[in-house]
Amino acid sequence: MNDIKFPLKVRFYKGNDMRYFSALDLVRVFERALRRTSLPLYFTKGFSPRVKMSFSRALKLGVEGEIEVTFYFTREISADELKGKLSSQLPDGLIMAD
Amino acid sequence: MLEWNNFRKPQRYMGNEWNVIKKSHDGRVRICLCYPNLYEIGMSNVGFRIIYSCLNSFKDVVCERSFMPDEDLYVYLREYKKKLFSLETKTALSDFEIVGFNFDYELNFTNFLAMLDASGIPLKSKERKDLIVLGGGVANPESLCEFVDIFFLGEFEEKAVSFVDIVRRYKNKEARLKALSEVEGFYVPSFYDVYRKGRRYVFEKKYKYAKLPINKVHVKDLDSSFSPVDWLTPYTSIAHDRAQIEIARGCPNKCFFCQARSVYFPYRERRPDRVLELADRIYEKSGYENISLLALSASNYSNIEGLIRDLADYCSERTIGLSLPSLRIEDVVDKLHKYLSRIKKVSATFAVEAATQRLRSAINKRIDTKKLMEAAKILRSLHSRHIKLYFMYGLPFEVDEDITAIKGFLEEIIRVSRLKVNVSVNVFIPKPFSHFENILMNSKEELERRRRLILNSIPKNRGIKASVALPYKSMLEAVISRAGRELSSLIYEAYMLGARFDADGERFNKHIWDEAFKRMGFDVNEYLSGETDNFPWSHIRVI
Repeated sequence: MNDIKFPLKVRFYKGNDMRYFSALDLVRVFERALRRTSLPLYFTKGFSPRVKMSFSRALKLGVEGEIEVTFYFTREISADELKGKLSSQLPDGLIMAD
Repeated sequence: MLEWNNFRKPQRYMGNEWNVIKKSHDGRVRICLCYPNLYEIGMSNVGFRIIYSCLNSFKDVVCERSFMPDEDLYVYLREYKKKLFSLETKTALSDFEIVGFNFDYELNFTNFLAMLDASGIPLKSKERKDLIVLGGGVANPESLCEFVDIFFLGEFEEKAVSFVDIVRRYKNKEARLKALSEVEGFYVPSFYDVYRKGRRYVFEKKYKYAKLPINKVHVKDLDSSFSPVDWLTPYTSIAHDRAQIEIARGCPNKCFFCQARSVYFPYRERRPDRVLELADRIYEKSGYENISLLALSASNYSNIEGLIRDLADYCSERTIGLSLPSLRIEDVVDKLHKYLSRIKKVSATFAVEAATQRLRSAINKRIDTKKLMEAAKILRSLHSRHIKLYFMYGLPFEVDEDITAIKGFLEEIIRVSRLKVNVSVNVFIPKPFSHFENILMNSKEELERRRRLILNSIPKNRGIKASVALPYKSMLEAVISRAGRELSSLIYEAYMLGARFDADGERFNKHIWDEAFKRMGFDVNEYLSGETDNFPWSHIRVI
């Protein structure tokens, strides 16, 4: 198994109904959105592997603003490719920044 | 709009889930599908999802959803006189033409009244003008007859076309009810007179084209029946947080205490290639990281070995978790062992029901306990953390030795598996349509004595977690499930006294129900005595 991971840090704008989503909810939202794309996802190891991601800036619940997330892939992915595939899979109120 | 920050888990009320269906109301039949418990519970119900998607598959129908709001939102709505709304468009329930409720659990019934009340909808059927309250998912609907205009008994997807045809064609409530009552499975309580003649319940039609008896409806073929693919995917965690795929409906076993066997009769299977196709399409549309197979008895599935092999391949390629419902022990031991080791989470649930072979035979529960011990040993080598066991007490033919035998049984299973064991012990309820429907229930005092006996029979071991159901709540469940029409007034009284969330251990209030029973002069023992020649549900045929 290819165990090299390629991180990609991106920013999202969180507004409207997505304001009420906690970081934990967002993990679920991103994981499922990513799984709906054909992107080469990197999974965590262990009994229950999950799509690997990390949040560097969290927002208070109910507040609009920017969040920063790092995704991990098994090959290099450009921000444009990610945006092209992920944007249509994101709920209203979650927009990937350029 | 509400300030959502003030409420717990506001994601439950957003109605913005992935694959949600939003339509304009213009020119469409407007239906709101409701579940009388929290979002997390209702959204885990596969029947609810089938009906939601099925109704929305009609272009000229819009079907939205509503759930029982949590206490904070409920109190807010009542206090500020705001109406309970649908999730999709935040339309008041009272503005729909039809509101449909799922009544799969008796202890949700007061929540149903709370939801109507919070929407400004009159609780009693005869006090409503245009709006139709439709009920489904219930085996014996009689206790709800005063509140519900029309019931559907059986699997709704089979009659969805006829239903939509009629509500399209007739706009007047009376005309709609009459036309629907002529269709198999639909039951309009106000079209029948029910009275007692000695020890018999007598049913007479008031509308001559209504059906009598009323036959439950089932789909003939699971492969061609409606099954949702655009899986509604919540953003917040729910009770069963996975995509659920039905592999079979009904059960070929004949355990005498079981109601589900009759209610979901007959046993039908979905072809393995169709199960795989559904799994694939649902995953592509939802991205759900867990899939579970759904069946009353998965192990009876003809080709369970092939199905699990193929699904384990599919899931491991995509790093999807696969969980299996309770499997037959023989299968685990003889055939599935090698595939199960590839599945991340093997949930091992064994419904043993009784600790002695004598009592298991008396209730027709076929289970090979020698194999069970072998299975427990195998589970040790798999990724299992614990075993879940189900027992019952208060069963017919049960003697104290059957109860005290639980101790040795648990000790043995812990010895061979070295796993943690979760034991759940429920009270036997003589449910309508089960083989034991005419059996007396033990008195509360006797059940309490047996419960103490169980608590003393559970080994003092840190590896065992046990929950033993309380007699009072089970007896209430029994009363409501076996009730005739006169019981509507008891449910009404309990609701008026403040009963809500009766299914929730912490929120259940025994004193409210005691008071309601007292005020209405109902005798619990009379209800559970079975002293009739037939039953309040004798006009309904399930098999």
